[in-house]
Amino acid sequence: METKEEWQRIKDLFGAALERTPAERDTFLREACAGDASLMEEVESLLKAHDSADGALERPPNLPLPGAMSIGSIGPYRLLEKIGEGGMGQVWLAEQSAPLQRQVALKLIRWSKFDDSLIHRFQAERQSLAVMDHPSIARVFDAGATPEGQPYFVMEYVRGVPITDYCDQKRLKVRDRLELFIKVCEGVQHAHQKAIIHRDLKPANILVSEVDGKPVPRIIDFGLAKAVGTEIDSMHTRVGSFVGTPGYMSPEQCDPAAKDIDTRADVYSLGVVLYVLLTGSLPFDSQQWKNKPFDEVLRRLREEDPLRPSTKVSTDRETSSAIAEARGTDPKQLVSLLQGDLDWITMKAVEKDRTRRYGSPSDLAADIRRYLKNEPITARPASVSYRVQKYVRRHKYSVAAAAVFVALLVSFAVLQNIQLHKIRRERDREDRIAEFMTGIFKVSDPAERIGSKVSAQELLDKATKDIDTGLAKDPEFQSRMMYVMGRAYLNLGLYPEAQSLFQRALKVSGSALGQEHKDTLHIVGELAWTLFQEGRLSEAESMQRRLLDTQRRVLGPEDGETLGTMGNLAITLCEEGRCSEAAKLGREQFDIKRRLFGSEDFYTLASMDNLAIMLERSNQLAEAEKLEREALGIQLRVFGRENLGTISCMTDLADIERDMGRDEEALKLYRETLELEQRILGPEQPETAVTRYSLACIQTRRGLKDEAITNLEYAIDHGLQPRMDLQIEKDPFLNSLHGDPRFAVLVAHAKKVAQSKTAARAPETE
Amino acid sequence: MAHFPAESVHLLLAKWKAGDQNALDDLIPLVYNELHAMAHHYLRAERPDHTLQTTALIHEAYLRLAEQGPFPTENRNHFVAIAATLMRQVLVDYARRYRANKRGADCTIKLESNFELASPKEEKDVDVLLLDDALNRLAERDPQQSRIVELRFFAGMTVEETAAVMDISPATVKRDWSMARAWLLRRLKRGESGDKGRVAKN
Repeated sequence: METKEEWQRIKDLFGAALERTPAERDTFLREACAGDASLMEEVESLLKAHDSADGALERPPNLPLPGAMSIGSIGPYRLLEKIGEGGMGQVWLAEQSAPLQRQVALKLIRWSKFDDSLIHRFQAERQSLAVMDHPSIARVFDAGATPEGQPYFVMEYVRGVPITDYCDQKRLKVRDRLELFIKVCEGVQHAHQKAIIHRDLKPANILVSEVDGKPVPRIIDFGLAKAVGTEIDSMHTRVGSFVGTPGYMSPEQCDPAAKDIDTRADVYSLGVVLYVLLTGSLPFDSQQWKNKPFDEVLRRLREEDPLRPSTKVSTDRETSSAIAEARGTDPKQLVSLLQGDLDWITMKAVEKDRTRRYGSPSDLAADIRRYLKNEPITARPASVSYRVQKYVRRHKYSVAAAAVFVALLVSFAVLQNIQLHKIRRERDREDRIAEFMTGIFKVSDPAERIGSKVSAQELLDKATKDIDTGLAKDPEFQSRMMYVMGRAYLNLGLYPEAQSLFQRALKVSGSALGQEHKDTLHIVGELAWTLFQEGRLSEAESMQRRLLDTQRRVLGPEDGETLGTMGNLAITLCEEGRCSEAAKLGREQFDIKRRLFGSEDFYTLASMDNLAIMLERSNQLAEAEKLEREALGIQLRVFGRENLGTISCMTDLADIERDMGRDEEALKLYRETLELEQRILGPEQPETAVTRYSLACIQTRRGLKDEAITNLEYAIDHGLQPRMDLQIEKDPFLNSLHGDPRFAVLVAHAKKVAQSKTAARAPETE
Repeated sequence: MAHFPAESVHLLLAKWKAGDQNALDDLIPLVYNELHAMAHHYLRAERPDHTLQTTALIHEAYLRLAEQGPFPTENRNHFVAIAATLMRQVLVDYARRYRANKRGADCTIKLESNFELASPKEEKDVDVLLLDDALNRLAERDPQQSRIVELRFFAGMTVEETAAVMDISPATVKRDWSMARAWLLRRLKRGESGDKGRVAKN
């Protein structure tokens, strides 16, 4: 071998020669080698090899593939013919010579000499496999290892075709398919009772042959996945870009972190087999997964819900007639056959969360039997709140807290609605609600939205669009949902959307329930209140007056709804500056409420609070203060400090104190309230903004101009209602700010903001 | 077979780069097992195209082992660098095993050895065991060149990637690669099994 120095010399000369043209090389080498012939020969030979390399070793090697195994024998088994090759190894048709002569299937397991644990697992498992004895399960006769240590299983040789192929070839009707499938479930159940999990159930492992003209399913490879190691089966899915069909593996088997695989994994796989038997395709399209990043495939398997069988058939239009034909029917009939019970049974079997699946194959079989006998099945649509929770859990990083809150608020309203209206077709309706609720959350493909947040408003916008299309068949519920969504927008301060929804709800409710139905009238009240919030006071007033008349006539003068309208009308009047008139109406309403419900009632206290404001605005300050302090006292006693009613009383008392010239007291109360509101409601709520506005007013009067302007600006940008924005310019409390250039800028800004709040999101339909 | 790492590959790579030799010791069996399991898996007649490049395998192995999240490219390159050596080892182990099976007198199952590596342009097969042996000889003379071949050939790294991982200049990689390849091809062509290199003068 060369010395280091020699090697270095060869290296240097080779490198230097390469930088020269072939023609120059010879001369160069001759000079450089200076008579060292062997050195020159060495470099020349290397250069020659280099020139003829022609891309050799440039491309990475392909994996070598082993050649076909030659015919031979293993122990008493003579290998006859290779009948299959799969991830686990090769399957051979073999002939057993002793103790009896018969044909068997011999499965040679792929193994690695580097993995001793395989042999141990294998030995442990072969014992348990021998105890299975069921007509639907292929028997395991023997297991052992070749002299080199390659493990093998000897099993009953089943001449059959995969269950899905058999059903299609024979054009079995759905009912016949289900009966065959029940037998498969029974076999799996038997194995489970012997504590054996298959772990790799798929049509290729469920072979059907005919005995006396009747199809008999046989499950092969039971327990092999475990004996051979779970790593192999998980690999089917894990290298998604290279392997074709991951579909039958349960989500927990696809989860590298999940260690405990139980019998419900087989239930899932059975569910997928059922899905394929019914629809002719896998719940997840494996084609779509090709060339997808591997973790994306995993995520989808774990998170995405498959289409219902009926939906799957109706969406695959190109193939649906062939699929229906193989089931002895046409697409339309097939879809209606699958809709309902069969959808639910299948979906329950392929639930991602195994606790929501059928507990065992026999439970699954039992539900299918119930269906075949037209009995009610146990698989029922997942409840609304469950589906919502599930979605939220799944997308916990993309659904903002506010959105979740709104969602739960809405679903609560929906659930309450169901309880209030016990209706005949409750199941259908619940189904629709569930669809609708989950639909709301599908704002867009979550895969495309990773990292971004779905706001409450986006959710509502989506839901609003869905109401028209999704719920048109059930106008009563549709109007109810529009109302609920309208309330949600109202609470978010999105008045044009709220208004539009109330108007639409009114239209639907009016024709479904009648113009003077209590529910319809209630919507009118909400619409009027929205108009009030938008500052459209005279419209609100006339609407409320008409409503009050109707309610008095239809519901009676002391009905809760009627009283509510009275209170709201009073507030509108006061806002219009007709505060004495408002106070008179307010007093009337307050007295009735106190008489009917008592002083400690939530609504009585609200009226008391409102009346105090009206008195304050009509300059009856002493009486206003007395009433407000009384209200605040009751509030604190009954509801405590951190309560919206209490907060309201505090701000209103602060207003009164301000008007009475007790600025220090007012300032203290405003600050206290603001702190409470920010803590409880958050800084962007309209209530918080109003308190900040009031604080600014009193600060202005105390000459704290800088602080006042800062607070005003903050309030405008953080939730102040449009009507308050527009009021800034004329508000007498802010008079001393006039002339300050900053104030002019602020007024202009407020107007612009108010405009954008009301106009930018104009209602879609009026 | 495949074992899921107790510690993430990411962490082990980071530790190794920080000078923790134990981390590499933990990493190597992990990557080896993974590559082996996957090679095993792919050795299937089912595959429609019947070929799978080792680089694709390494890429998959990396994905499988490095599930914990986004990785710096730097780490990926170091992973591939380790995998290159191990990929070579996997191929050699396979070839040895099958060769042993073929020759074994008391083997009931006879397997045909077909472990030549296709060298696409020349359509001439390269025996993996001979290549391995030649690489070992090359390493005795020039460990750097041998390493470059591992990275370039077994892991399919580009000149730039190789340079980055080995912390040398791309120009050096190019020059060494040319020579190493010439040296190996010459040796394989001659079918040398022993050391018939240049006899030292003096």
